[in-house]
Order: sequence, then structure tokens, then C-alpha cells
Amino acid sequence: MMLELLVGVCLLGAFVTFALPEEYAPEAALGISLVPLAVSLYMYAVFDGVGNALLGGDPAFETQYAWLTLGRYDVTWHMGLDGISMPLVVLATLLTTLAILASWTPIDERQSQFYGLMLFMEASLVGVFGALDFLIWFVFWEAVLVPMYFLIGVWGGARRKYAAIKFFVYTNIASIVMFIGFFGLVFGLGDSIASLDLPAVAQALRAGELGGLGLLSASQVATLAFVAMFLGFAVKVPVVPFHTWLPDAHVEAPTPASVMLAGVLLKMGTYALLRYNFTMLPGIAQSFAVPIALLGVISIVYGALLALAQSDLKRIVAYSSVSSMGYVMLGLVAYTMYGTGGATFQMVAHGLISGLLFACVGVVYNTTHTRMVGDMSGLADRMPVTVGAFVAGGFAYMGLPLMAGFAGEFFVFVGTFGADFAGAPVFTSVGMFGIVIVAGYLLWSMQATLFGPFESATDYEVSPAAVHDVVPLLVLVVFIIALGTFPYDLAFDAILEATRHRARPVRVRQHRPRVEQQSRPRGHRLRRLAGGDGRVGRVPRLWRR
Amino acid sequence: MAVPVQYYLVLSAFVFCVGLFGVLTRRNALLFLMSVELMLNAANINFVAFSYYHGNLTGQVFSLFTMALAAAEVAVGIGIILVLYRNFADVDVTTATTLRW
Amino acid sequence: MYTVATGHAYQSTLYTWVGGEAVPYELTFGILLDQLSTLMLVIVSLISFLVHVFSLGYMNDEDEGGLARYYAELGLFSASMLGFVFADNLLMAFMFFELVGLCSYLLIGFWFREAGPPSAAKKAFLVTRFGDYFFLIGVVAVFATFGTAAFGGPGVEESFPHLAELALDGEASVNTFGFAPSTWFTIVGLLVLGGVMGKSAQFPFHTWLPDAMEGPTPVSALIHAATMVAAGVYLVARMYGFYALSPTALGVIAFVGGFTALFAATMGVVKREIKQVLAYSTISQYGYIMLALGGGGYVAGVFHLTTHAVFKALLFLGAGSVIIAMHHNENMWDMGGLKDEMPVTYYAFLSGSLALAGIVPFSGFWSKDEVLFETLIHGLGDSPLLLGAYAMGLLAVFFTGFYTFRMVLLTFHGEPRSDTARDPHGVRWNVKVPLVVLGTLAAVVGVINLTPVHTLVPAVPEFLHDWLFHGPEGLNGEHYEELLHDFAGYTKGYPLGETLTMLASAAVSLGLALAGAGLAVALYRGPEPVEHTDKLGALKTVLFNNYYQDEFQVWLAEGLTARVAGAADTVDVSGIDGVVNFVSSLSLFTGDRLRRVQTGIVSNYAALLTLGLTILLVAFGVMQGWFL
Repeated sequence: MMLELLVGVCLLGAFVTFALPEEYAPEAALGISLVPLAVSLYMYAVFDGVGNALLGGDPAFETQYAWLTLGRYDVTWHMGLDGISMPLVVLATLLTTLAILASWTPIDERQSQFYGLMLFMEASLVGVFGALDFLIWFVFWEAVLVPMYFLIGVWGGARRKYAAIKFFVYTNIASIVMFIGFFGLVFGLGDSIASLDLPAVAQALRAGELGGLGLLSASQVATLAFVAMFLGFAVKVPVVPFHTWLPDAHVEAPTPASVMLAGVLLKMGTYALLRYNFTMLPGIAQSFAVPIALLGVISIVYGALLALAQSDLKRIVAYSSVSSMGYVMLGLVAYTMYGTGGATFQMVAHGLISGLLFACVGVVYNTTHTRMVGDMSGLADRMPVTVGAFVAGGFAYMGLPLMAGFAGEFFVFVGTFGADFAGAPVFTSVGMFGIVIVAGYLLWSMQATLFGPFESATDYEVSPAAVHDVVPLLVLVVFIIALGTFPYDLAFDAILEATRHRARPVRVRQHRPRVEQQSRPRGHRLRRLAGGDGRVGRVPRLWRR
Repeated sequence: MAVPVQYYLVLSAFVFCVGLFGVLTRRNALLFLMSVELMLNAANINFVAFSYYHGNLTGQVFSLFTMALAAAEVAVGIGIILVLYRNFADVDVTTATTLRW
Repeated sequence: MYTVATGHAYQSTLYTWVGGEAVPYELTFGILLDQLSTLMLVIVSLISFLVHVFSLGYMNDEDEGGLARYYAELGLFSASMLGFVFADNLLMAFMFFELVGLCSYLLIGFWFREAGPPSAAKKAFLVTRFGDYFFLIGVVAVFATFGTAAFGGPGVEESFPHLAELALDGEASVNTFGFAPSTWFTIVGLLVLGGVMGKSAQFPFHTWLPDAMEGPTPVSALIHAATMVAAGVYLVARMYGFYALSPTALGVIAFVGGFTALFAATMGVVKREIKQVLAYSTISQYGYIMLALGGGGYVAGVFHLTTHAVFKALLFLGAGSVIIAMHHNENMWDMGGLKDEMPVTYYAFLSGSLALAGIVPFSGFWSKDEVLFETLIHGLGDSPLLLGAYAMGLLAVFFTGFYTFRMVLLTFHGEPRSDTARDPHGVRWNVKVPLVVLGTLAAVVGVINLTPVHTLVPAVPEFLHDWLFHGPEGLNGEHYEELLHDFAGYTKGYPLGETLTMLASAAVSLGLALAGAGLAVALYRGPEPVEHTDKLGALKTVLFNNYYQDEFQVWLAEGLTARVAGAADTVDVSGIDGVVNFVSSLSLFTGDRLRRVQTGIVSNYAALLTLGLTILLVAFGVMQGWFL
């Protein structure tokens, strides 16, 4: 019931905040959002999910109730978390709390609505990552769009209406395409499934139950469904060339919304790609490996080049998100332990890092009222803490070791370089060039805005940011460093636990003697981190060999 | 001797066409309403004629319903016309076009 | 240290970064203490300590702001370098390598309120990042190929140099991605070399280093002598067992080294700022180390790394002392006559200069001579291509002697050429002590490896040689020599017999160094030296502008990359987004046209209704054949 509690608290909190008078809304929203954060951290601490939720694993906090019947299909309220979704849920709750804190300064009208929408979005995000039934998942998936549409459209910048409509229409059309693709699979499966339960669908697909549909053969159905779902999710990720809604949305959105958009909403796309395309249809995914890897590499290099050409700080970070999500694509398509696990890890890492950078840009904007690189310089002189966090975020984005970004990117690279598809080393090497370009534009923009003699083209008093503005930044920096230093203990083991089934062992050279491989105690993470003894883990049911 | 059913049909078609002509050419809302009534009654004639022809009373019952409906429609229609007149000081149907888009 | 001194080595895995059964290979952190890394540890700790002491004089006494930040960054810098030095695998080495880069970024940009330092810091990080890009590919390729990135050491069953060796012998199979093993290992080696060339400022990645002089001078000393720049060549020495397998990679290393040595030395000849001269001499000296490693002189390379660390730290700290005295004016043409005002600095600096120029018996002579000698004999053996690299290295000796003494004469001799030089600012003990320590060391540290003397009088020991040859299995000099011989085909050739060849080589290099120094003395002696470099005419302009390498790189960054980025932006905004917006405009447009049907006039609707009905009736009629 923990997940329901999480969603319920957020939803209830959203309505309460909506009804509250303006002056209490910010504090109330922060207080309310601390509850799901605490709950999710508790869940993280006691997390004991085993395996992949879709493939017969045993997700933690699982609940399943019959809800309604649609024709032949039962719809059940099925929620649960495995190693892939658990870190993302924590990411969502953490970033929501920090984004709410970061909105205290910039949001000064319609506050109760704003914070209500933020909490509503949190509820939907948790639902997206927790749902294990297609219909439930889809409802949450669509529900995320609504608050984001209003956040951009009401509190956004000058071209907010254009950006909001573009965001909504683009992603909604993508959802429809994806929906059609998924139902193609469902109808193709025919009588072999009796519900829209995702594990059931996934296992039926992997068991080869997919039949033809009309004039199409089973493999054609699978291919078309794969393409449709891929296109649908690619918009959300976004993969070049479906990325153009992103910079507009980011630039116009108020900063806290940008934090959520880059930090969590983009992860929905890759999360869904992993859950649907790459878990349900691995054969098709591998046959499309080269084009998908190509798209990933193009996203990386092209996105980074675009970022290089911008002078609006938010646009720079927005385009670099396109670039970073390319790494995730590359890792997903590799089908190796490090590739898939690294891609998932990179989702979390990028969520934190891009959240941090957007929050930093937001703080800078609150003070100087400009985001243009040429309009200011030498901010380090006036707002040292903010600038410190900015530099930390910048280096994290560049993949500095011992910060989360490096771990994610390195796992992806190691996983992809030795992957099986044609030209994997070449794709990886070209993709890695992104780390040079990212260093180029971030160093350039940091030098131009943060360092040098202080100047500002706007007439505002530039003074150190308020405590509640810098707290989110510092919290994120701490999380990024912790995740980069202890990637395995904090998240990567859980992720691998959930993704291991997908990877075939890559050239395991067996002549390395296993040095007394002690079985890792699973169980309560905190106890394990503290060096205490945990329960000896359950062995995953499906892939015990 | 019975009047052949074709005669009724011709009559009905004629009345319908008169109504249709009125709807297409008149701009006065009242005339519009009257034309619509004519078209409804043309349908009624058909109902009754076929009812008689088939010896089945359903058609006549149906025409009664239609009359009731027509009465209701007139009430609503005249209501609309009154509002139209109040707003535009006219009952010309082509002047009230603001709801087009 | 004790373990190592008794001929053992220590290796232990400290922390598993990523492990578990699920992953094909674990990623770990561990320490590897063998002869090489302990030697380096001593160097790094010593220099770092002295730099910290010197900073008390350079920063604290000068009332600089942000001291807490300065010392924190300096400490992190040393820590990163130490972590890099005792890393037991390539991944850990890479991670600390990057942290070293970060610290240098922070320290070079320490004075962030000015315009220059942040820009120099950016350049340093970006240029080295470019090299690190290749390094990262190399690391990833090593993992993908061997499944381990361990360097080796006691207790390590599998290290990638060892596996590579086995693979070349056909005793182990590794994934070489469709290449022949030797080709693939060369490619991997060259990829890692990218990082080395970036950090060690080898051509063409050397441009960041002179700019890095924007940082505080103690930082320059640390960067140049013991940390950042040394990291690159140390890495080559660390995985020498891998490079020794590939003659091509060795050849590339040797040529890059030789060329850089000469190239940088020529640029050092015309510089005006004292730190600029030193910067180019650093590039040049690291070229020598690369030359040695590429030329098969593993011990020589490490030896020169050691002596260079000492005398370059000394020279930078000496320059720092001069800069304090000159109130932060670095132009040598404003100095002169400082000899009498600051004798401690002068004699220490002189000791370092003699070492740098390679004048007997200062430390630099022994190491540089050995570098050239090793390259020469291997070149005279079966690898004649090395002779080209050797020739460049040899020529650079002349230039080194020249610019070193030009610098000394301009700074300390003659008449003062400015007011500050007449009345320099004094320095305190915290500046002098490091100078004295290093000055003594620069003079005598050569005794650790008196190879020429050893050859003549076998009773004189070669400490360093013995030290490095007694490393753990697979990581010692002896093993490397076997590898060089077996896989790279390096053999030694002595046309004049061993002793005579050695003496001839030493004589040639010493002669050239003396000639260079002599020329400098001849030109810049006297109270009022003139700028003889002007006589070089256009050549001077070229040299002064560093062969327009900076312009070229700026063009690469701004002219090329920025333009490509701009073009990409245009494509994105008008092309891709254009399509998106076009779809949206198309639907808006068609909607706009279609809605015009809705006139709002009821009669029109009625007419349309009738029309539609008629059309339908006619259509059904036609289909049913009514009108036939």
C-alpha cells in the first residue's frame, strides 16, 4: 500500500493546496511534499524487490486489485516497484520537493494553483513509474501532461502559449501513436492474455504468443508495434529529430517546471522505452540496433552542437539534455549488463544533474533577470555559493569522475563498446565525442557568465541568493557526488538486479578465478550500508540457471 | 373506392417541396418556421397514407407524436424568434451569424 | 615504502566501485605500490610539500584573498595526483587523471575576477579533455578487450599488459574487434596515448600549458613538476608493459617526444616572460621523457622524470621568488641585476638552470644524457627510425642551453632595467627554504643513476636502475627490456663499442648544451643586453606566436566548430522545427479555409443540407441503376 499512499498523499495534497489561500501555499506545499519524499526514502531503505517486475520478478510494494473489465480484458489496479522504477520514484519525489522550494522566489502569482499543479504532477509521475497495468499507466502518463501544460502556459515566459501548445500537442500525438502500437500487440496476442497487465503482456510476448493481425503476420505486427511505440516514446525522450518541442518548452517554462521537465519528465520516455520496446520486444530491438544506435549518436553529437550555438543558458541546458538522453538510447540498445544498467543509471544521474543546472540558471535569472550569456559576467564575485553549485553541476554534466554523470556515461560506454550489433565500437567512440563538446559549451558559458570582472546588462541588484534558493542546489550536489562515488551500493545493484535478465553474458572470459565471491546480502539497504547483516537474498525466479 | 396511395404521395411530395422552397428562399424566421411545419406535415401525410394502405395503425400513432413534437418545436422556435427579435430588432435569419466559428 | 624498498610490492583492492555477480567485470579502486609508484609518491609528496611551504610566502604574505579556497584546491590537487599515482588499474587512473584536470582548472582559474585566468583554465581543461576523450575510448576498449584494466602487481592474476602479451603469443584469446591482436593493441595504446599527450602537453595538445601560467606561480610549479603534466608520462611508464608490445606505438611516442622537445625549445628562445620560457621548457623536457620511453629507455625516462620534477619545481619557485620581488611583473626585460639583491634565489636558480641545460655534473645532465643515449643505441640497433627522433632531441639540447642561459642572464645579470628591479621586494624563509632544498637536490640528485660512471667504474652503483629492475613480476625494468626485445624488436647497437659510444653520446650532448649556453652568454652578457632575437626577423614573429598553433586551435574552436554548431542550429530551427511548425500551420490553415463554409446563415445551411441530400439520392440512384 506504500505506493498508493504515495500517490494518494500527493493527490490529496494537490487539492488541499489548491484550496488554500495564497499566502500559505508555498510553505504548505513544501510541507506536504516532504511526506512523499520521506515515504519514498523509507521505501528505498526497505526496498527488497527482486528481478524485473515485467518478467516474473517480485516487485516490492506490489498491490493488485481487480478494477474493471473492458471487453475481454480485465483491468487491474496493479502497482509495484522494481530496481528500475525505485530510483526513479525517489528522483521524482526528491526533485518535486526541491522544485517547490526553488519556486518560492520566482512564483508570486496564483501560488496555490501553481503548487497544487506541482503536487498533482508528482502524483502522476509516481503513478507512471509505479503502475504495472497498461491502462493505469496510460492514465498517469497522460495525466502528467496536464499540469505541465498549465505550468508552462500560465506561469511561462513571453511565448508561453506557443510552447505549451506545442508541448501538449506534440507529446499527445506521440501518445496516440504509442497507444495504437501497444494495442496492436494486445490484439495480436489474442486469447493468450486476459488482461492489460504489463507483466502478463510482456511474458506472453516473450513466450512467443504473438499472432498475426488481419493481413499482417506476427513478425510484421511486432515490427509495426515496435516502430509505433518507439516513435511515441522517442518524442518524449526526446530523440533527434523529434526534439524541437523541448527547447521551446524549457525556455518558456518557469524554472521549477523546467527542473521537473528535464529531471523527471524526460525520463518517462526512456523508462517507457526500456519497459515496452526493449523488454517486451527484444528481438525486434536488436534487429533495429544499428538505426537506434545511430539515432542515439546523432542525438548526442547534434544536440551538443546545438547547445554550442545557443546563448540562452536555459536553451543550452535544454539542448544538452537532448544530448545526454542520447547516451541512454545508446546504452539501452547495447543489450549488455553495463549498457542497460548504465542507461537506467544515467536516467537518474541526468535527472539530478540537469535538475541542478536548471535550478542554478533559475537562481541566476531570479537575481539578474536575464539568462543571456552575453548579458552578465563575473557572477562568482557576487553569488559565490550559487556559482559553486553551478560549477559543480557543470562538471557533473561534463562527466567528472566521482560524480553521477561519469558513472552513468562510463557504464554506458563500457556496455556499448563491446555490444553485439555491427559497428558498436565506432558508434560508442563517436558518441563519446559528446563529452568534449559538452565540456566546450559548458566551460564557455561558465567562463562568460560566472567568471571575469563583474558586469550585468540589467539594472538589478545582484546579491547572494536566499537560503531557500541555494538549499536545493546544495542538496542536489550532495546527491550527485554520493551517487557518483557509491554508484553500486546506492542504486546500481538494484538496477542490475532488474535488468540482468536482458543481457546475455558478453564474452565472459572464464579463466579469471572468482575470488571468493561472497553472496551479497540483499534486504534492507540502510542496514547493508551500515555494514550490518541482511537477509540472504532470494534468487530471482525466472533466470535462475 | 379508395384513393390510390400514389395521390397521397404526390400531395406529400408537393407539400414537402413547398416547405423546402420556403426554407431555402425565405429569410423571415416566422416563414422559416412555417415552412418547417409544412415539411413535417408532408411527412405526416405519408405516415397516415401508408398506415391506411397497410392497415396498420402504428403510422397514425406516429403522426400524432409528430404533431405533438411540432407543437413543442413551434414553442421553442417562437421563443428563439423572440430572442432574435429582441437582440437584432429583426427576425431575419441571416443576420444572426456570430455563432458561426 | 619499506615493503617496496626490500624488493617487494603491495597491491590491494580497497573499494569495489561496481561489483556483484551480474556484471561481466568489476570496477574497483585499489592501490598498487611498486618501485615506480613509490618513487613517484616520494617526488609528488616532496614537491607538493615544498609548494605548500612556498605558497605561504607567495600567497599569504602577499595578502591574496580566498586563501581557504586556494589551500583546499591545492590539497585536492595533491590528493588527486597521489590517487592517480598509486592507482592499480586504468579506470581508477583515469578517474583521478580527470580530477587532476579539475583541480588544475580550479587553480589556474584561481583569480577568477580577472578576465585572463578563467579563459586559460577553460583552455587547459578543454585541450586536455580532448586528449582524455581518446584516453576514455582507450579505457573502455581495454575493458572490452581484456575484461580487466589492472596494471598488475603481486596477487593480481590478470593484468591487461600481461594478457596482451599472452594474446600476442597466442596463449590467450581476447576480443580484438576483428583486428589482428598487434594492430588492435597498437590502436588501444595510441588511444590511451591521446590522454597522455593532452596532459603532458605534447604536440599538438601543448597549447594550454603556456596559458596556464595565468595561475599562481606555486601552482605552476606543482602542475609542471610533479602533478598534472607529469601524470601523462607517468601513465606511459605505468603501463609500459603494454606499450612495449607495440613498436608502432613506441615509435609514435618517440617521435612525438622528439618533435615536441625541439618544437617547444625553439619557441622558448624568444619569450619575454620568465614563466613563459619555463613553460616551453617544460613542454620540451616532457618531450624528452616521451622520447626516452618511446626509444626503449624506461629507466632513462623515469630518471628524467625525477630530475625534471626537482629542477623544474626549483625553477618555478625561483621564478616565483623573482616575481614576488618584482611586484608581480614577469617581463624579463624589466629585470636584470637581481643577482646581488637576492643571492639565495640566484644560486638556487642557477643550480636549476644548469640542470635544465644539462651541464655536467648537475642532475639534468645525467638524465638527459641517458635519454639520448638509450634512444641512440636502440636507433643504431634494429630500429633506425628512432634516429630521426634522436636527432630532434639532440638539436633541442642546443636550444635548451641557449634559452636557459638567456633567461638567467636577463633576469639576474647586467644592470637593473626598471625601478622595481633596483629595489626588489624581499622574500622570507618560507620562500627560501624550498629553494635551498630543491637547489641542493637539483645539483646532486643525478647520483641516483650515474650510468656512464657505472659503465666505466662498475663499483659506482646505479641506484635507480637497480630499483626499477627489482619491481614485482611483470612490472619491472628487466621484464620491459625483454618485451622490447621480443615484441618491439628493439636491439642495441654500439658502432664504437659500448663505452666509447656512450662517451661520444655524452660528449655530443654536453658539447651542444655548452654551445647553446655559450651563445647565450655571448649574446646577452654585459650590463645592457639587447634583444638579439629581433635579428631573426619573420622567424621571430612565427616563434613568438608559437607557430600560430593557438590561432589554429582558436580557429578550430571558433571558426570551425562554432560554425558547424551555427549551421546545426539553423538546420534545427528552420529545418526540423520548420517541419513541425509547418505541420501545425498546415492544419491551422486548412482549418481556417474549411471553416469558411460555416457562414452562420441558416439558409445556406439548409441549402447545403438539401444539396447533400440530393447528391446522396442521385449517387444511390446511379449505383442502383435507376436512371438506366
